Amino acid sequence: MALWSMPGLEERLQEQGPTRSLAEALSLPWDRFSAWLHCICVVGFDLELGQAVEVLYPTHSKLTDKEKSNICYLSFPDSNSGCLGDTQFCFRFRQSSGRKISLHCLMDQFDKDLPIYLKKDPAYYYGYVYFRQVRDKTLKRGYFQKSLVMISKLPYIKFFQTVLKKIAPEYFEKSDPCLEAACSDIDRWPAPCPGAMLNLPIMGVVIKVRIPTRHDKPGTTTQLIETTPQADVHISVSLPTIHEVDLFRCFSPVFLHIQMLWELVLLGEPLVVMAPSPSESSETVLALVSCISPLKYCSDFRPYFTIHDTEFKEYTTRTQAPPPVILGVTNPFFAKTLQHWPHIIRIGDIKLAGEVPKQVKVKKLKNLKTLDSKPGVYSSYKPFLNRDEEIIKQLQKGIQQKRPAEAQNVILRRYFLELTQSFIIPLERYVASLMPLQKSILPWKSPPQLKCFSQDEFMKTLEKTGPQLTSRLKGDWMGLYRHFLKSSNFDGWFRTRWKEMTRKLEALHLEALCDEDLLLWIEKHTEVEAVDLVLKLKNKLMSAVGEHLPVKPDTMPRLQMHIDSIISALPEDLQGILLKSDTT
Amino acid sequence: MALRELKVCLLGDTGVGKSSIVWRFVEDSFDPNINPTIGASFMTKTVQYQNELHKFLIWDTAGQERFRALAPMYYRGSAAAIIVYDITKEETFSTLKNWVKELRQHGPPNIVVAITGNKCDLNDVREVLEKDAKDYADSIHAIFVETSAKNAININELFIEISRRIPSTDASLTSAGKGFKLRRQPSVTKHSCC
Repeated sequence: MALWSMPGLEERLQEQGPTRSLAEALSLPWDRFSAWLHCICVVGFDLELGQAVEVLYPTHSKLTDKEKSNICYLSFPDSNSGCLGDTQFCFRFRQSSGRKISLHCLMDQFDKDLPIYLKKDPAYYYGYVYFRQVRDKTLKRGYFQKSLVMISKLPYIKFFQTVLKKIAPEYFEKSDPCLEAACSDIDRWPAPCPGAMLNLPIMGVVIKVRIPTRHDKPGTTTQLIETTPQADVHISVSLPTIHEVDLFRCFSPVFLHIQMLWELVLLGEPLVVMAPSPSESSETVLALVSCISPLKYCSDFRPYFTIHDTEFKEYTTRTQAPPPVILGVTNPFFAKTLQHWPHIIRIGDIKLAGEVPKQVKVKKLKNLKTLDSKPGVYSSYKPFLNRDEEIIKQLQKGIQQKRPAEAQNVILRRYFLELTQSFIIPLERYVASLMPLQKSILPWKSPPQLKCFSQDEFMKTLEKTGPQLTSRLKGDWMGLYRHFLKSSNFDGWFRTRWKEMTRKLEALHLEALCDEDLLLWIEKHTEVEAVDLVLKLKNKLMSAVGEHLPVKPDTMPRLQMHIDSIISALPEDLQGILLKSDTT
Repeated sequence: MALRELKVCLLGDTGVGKSSIVWRFVEDSFDPNINPTIGASFMTKTVQYQNELHKFLIWDTAGQERFRALAPMYYRGSAAAIIVYDITKEETFSTLKNWVKELRQHGPPNIVVAITGNKCDLNDVREVLEKDAKDYADSIHAIFVETSAKNAININELFIEISRRIPSTDASLTSAGKGFKLRRQPSVTKHSCC
């Protein structure tokens, strides 16, 4: 007996979550595609021109010549690193200046709900690359060399890697119809809405993934809602994370120095990763950037950087101190160009999990001269914190006991998370104290100012409520904070907090105003003042809606009611004018 | 109640009504001016069958020749393939036979095949006899049904029959015999069609 009771529409609405709005239903061709990707390009090698963009989807997508040139160079390994076969990596490049930054208003709404480290950076694009190089005697060059590249603002590394792995091998065999099909699939995807369980069909399989929200507890790995017992990768693939790289694998070549690397990243020190191939350089740079999560790494970072990059001169000049950026490079030329950089990570081939180099010491920079320098960390940096022997022992024990790589990765990720949280909690606590008291927020005065950040006062709080409350690590925490306060990571973090608190203050002020008896107030004031109040309230309402102020849900309707009742208490001619200004 | 995801693909010549069948099944609607599919479109619908929920992941492939090479992506891992022809166009039935051969050679071994003659509302201009198609379907142990996406004839029945033929999880080994036999049979595959 079969019961056919579930209408498909209902189910699909439910699957797509609350995001399927009227705007989405009315979307134009490529609207949905652009919520995920800027474009897809194929970069090939032309004997006369060098690398060139051969195919661009959608055909109307815009890239400046500079952007195209960057994409071309960044989509190919830049040294003869023998990347034979298929290689995947990722790069990041600056959006050409002067280009209109048009953020879809709908997408802005999503950005708001994202954790800070997953928010889009309006000035940068990510490029996700699948590069194939195989011998082909029928070609003049003797090799088939091509890259399929996805350009996007979204830093969803794991996700795009998975998608590319699905599309690219098919494309290299079946050519254009395959890209057409892929783009058409993507153009039907639901919007990248944080928190919703997304089912994304692509080329015969369904990728299931959830984008984290800012309300998720940090460190909780995404739990998939739907876990149907099924292992067939031809039907569906569930991704446990949309963005996280395998920290343990990436750090295994420099595993004894992880804590020092965490400090270097936290402080925004100039850091270069020299790796044998773009996939290793990009993974290591992304691992570095993510090891201070949930803090956002605020400076520039380039998972893969070449000598042809537009910013090459800017970043390698010797006339200034090295910029506070993290670069991943493969070209041996950089060993010389970046000789003056204070911290250099040199990695050999990333070994399979389980093999960890035995060497311990950080190497002296002067020993880094040539291409054949040994893998390791080259720096004269003295870490502020004492080394945590326990995590090293724990991971080493895991290696001996053949603990699965995923478990090692989880341990390392949790370690970094706890370390970062121990570090940031005292700052959070102090900054929260800059908020004025609730009783000082008065409806008829403008909102009070936030107190200024004072380094001395903050340092004083550390004695009693410092990181010692949550971390067993000893060392010069004060020194670490002092340096951090000068870094761009602090600057970025503080700006975000400041903005949030200002908005909260405005929201509280608006709520206080709503609690007043405004009709009583206008009885005691002149008509002009009443009109002035109406106009002010209207302005406030508009900006509160536009900026999504974090007010209680009933505040907006109450404010509107106040406005309406004041207007109706005014003489009729004024009412007419004030109501009319509503529609403009 | 157990939920099973079942991948289903639709194959067949361009214009035979694959997308219309899916639209009728999923949305219960019909649009005579539907655009040709690019690559494949994807829809889902969950139905109850006995004590299981069957969630059909439906890949409705493009019939146009230039997308032909992509088909393996869609039938790979499929529990069932609905191969559609147009009863008013003889040549679409020949194309169908080619799809059967391709599935036999490269498709999943126990895939349930449903031979579907669409546009049965246009009986006046019929070119493929129901009996011929039925005999062919029987010879390959496939489901056979004539449908009209336009008049909503036999659409739900088609999917009920697919649910019925798909081996249940507990007895997947014993009931496999119900499925379409797709053991490699090299003798048949070399011949060109009709």
